[in-house]
Amino acid sequence: MAKMRVLVADDEPLARERLAALLHEAGADVVGTASNGEQAVRESERLQPDLAVLDIRMPGLDGLDAARELGRLAKPPAIVFCTAYDEYAVRAFEANAVDYLMKPVRLERLRQAIERAARLAPARLGQVAQSLAPGRQRTHLCARVRGNLVLVPVGDVLYMLAEDKYVVVHHTKGQVLIEDALKSIEDEFGERFVRIHRNCLVARDRLAGLVRLGDGRILVRLTGCEDELEVSRRNLPAVRKLVRTL
Amino acid sequence: MPPRATSNTADPASPAWLPDFCSLPVLFAMMVVAEFVALIVTLAPTAEPRPFWPRLGSASLFVQWLALIHAVGLCKLRPRLLRLRPWIGELAAYAFMLAVTALGSSLVFSLDQGLALGLTLPASRHAHFVTRNVLIGAPIGAALLRYFYVLEQWRAGVRAEARARFEALQARIRPHFLFNSMNTIASLIRVRPGQAEAAVEDLSDLFRAALGAGDGLRSLGEELDLARRYLRIEQLRLGERLDVLWRVEALPRELRLPALLIQPLVENAVYHGVQALPEGGRIEVEGHQHGRTLEITVSNPCPPPGRRRSSGNGMALTNVQSRLVYHFGPHAALEVDDAGERFTCTLRLPAAPMEESGPRAPVGEARY
Repeated sequence: MAKMRVLVADDEPLARERLAALLHEAGADVVGTASNGEQAVRESERLQPDLAVLDIRMPGLDGLDAARELGRLAKPPAIVFCTAYDEYAVRAFEANAVDYLMKPVRLERLRQAIERAARLAPARLGQVAQSLAPGRQRTHLCARVRGNLVLVPVGDVLYMLAEDKYVVVHHTKGQVLIEDALKSIEDEFGERFVRIHRNCLVARDRLAGLVRLGDGRILVRLTGCEDELEVSRRNLPAVRKLVRTL
Repeated sequence: MPPRATSNTADPASPAWLPDFCSLPVLFAMMVVAEFVALIVTLAPTAEPRPFWPRLGSASLFVQWLALIHAVGLCKLRPRLLRLRPWIGELAAYAFMLAVTALGSSLVFSLDQGLALGLTLPASRHAHFVTRNVLIGAPIGAALLRYFYVLEQWRAGVRAEARARFEALQARIRPHFLFNSMNTIASLIRVRPGQAEAAVEDLSDLFRAALGAGDGLRSLGEELDLARRYLRIEQLRLGERLDVLWRVEALPRELRLPALLIQPLVENAVYHGVQALPEGGRIEVEGHQHGRTLEITVSNPCPPPGRRRSSGNGMALTNVQSRLVYHFGPHAALEVDDAGERFTCTLRLPAAPMEESGPRAPVGEARY
């Protein structure tokens, strides 16, 4: 049997070293390491490992968010999570039959995890993230620009427009396409974005005011952005109320 | 940069100088006192020909009726009174009680005359009746208000003490830290056993300190050493991402302080700051003495507000803050300055030594 090709992602150098050594002892081949979620996704794209061992707490894109992105790759790796102490995470994993390792990792336990490593659909991983903490939100949106991973901090997002199968995210430094549905983003981030139109979400903290046009249409003005966006009649009362409280 | 959010107003329970007069225990206390008053008034030597029991009956009816009006009135007025400064509020409550006594007496006197029941005094002595009742009510009302005030203060003190103890327990190190450190040590044993040994020593000191945190004071020097040990372990774990700068030579190391005031700030700086940044950063711990005040600052880089994980921030800070209030009263403060990409906590403490026994300024500090 060919050796399993593994990617290790942890922000702590010593933790990476130890896990790599253990994986080696368990007969796996460590093909790459990453020190944060973003790197883990990039390296997985490049190296196409069979398995990714992801620490949950990593700066920037954390283990759960990285796993979600990995699930979307053409050839997604199997995923095993690693954590030092997360009661909630452990409960969420058990509920969703996701494999996890507790730090310090034991060799026998690692062997087991390698044997039964399973590929998980992103939807399933989304569920884990949700059951982890009902209010949990991603800190970054992940987009592809010419095949490269681009992270947009949620705080930088100005507004999002649904177009066909994609959502165009307009942020402070440009715009990117993401594959999420507008509805799921609205559900995930709740308070953070306001729906002003069937196809448009606006960052609440960017709302600057309303403008009425000659023909009766009403537009939203945003801080830090020239664009003005139309408010649908259906969403107008809610938006108006919100603008009044600003 | 100017401090944006100064917050040393952590409330020690509620503003508790006036009890809730609608609550049954307070109402009961009012009625017991009222009955004593009725008894004393009846026992007092008088020229009245009526026998003891009927006199006690009418006096009880009158005094209990007055007590109920007081209770209902103070219950309704309480929210407004509590908004005033305590001594003004107390005076207002007292004035209200005397006014109710005067008006009530006058009303009862008139009724008695009208119905010709002869329970009070002859018609010519209306003013005398009212004045007498107000004079009887004055010391009793004052004593009662004072009693409730002291009682509420005592309760608030007990609550604050329990809370401070509980929070000292909470201030103990995060379990995450324990397991991460164990993992670090497990890695080090393979490659650098010497460092692993030092890490075990540091970890032991930390836990010894944390486990004994509930009781008593510790020297500032010990507290600083503890923070240093903590950061040493975190440095092993985070590698080059964590850089620390110490400037604490100016601090008096022998000063006695409640345990775990600085370590939680440093832990916060790692947990929400450096650890959350892919490139890491530098934590700066600085200490100065300005006259009779010590100023200890812990600052760290952190992700800008829009990119933080929302969970759990501020717990440790609230904890330190309320323990400061408990131990030092208004003489200490924790100032937090969250200036976007850098987070700064400033601890201000009195430079005078603390007494070994309990809090310096209990919440129930007398205001009279």
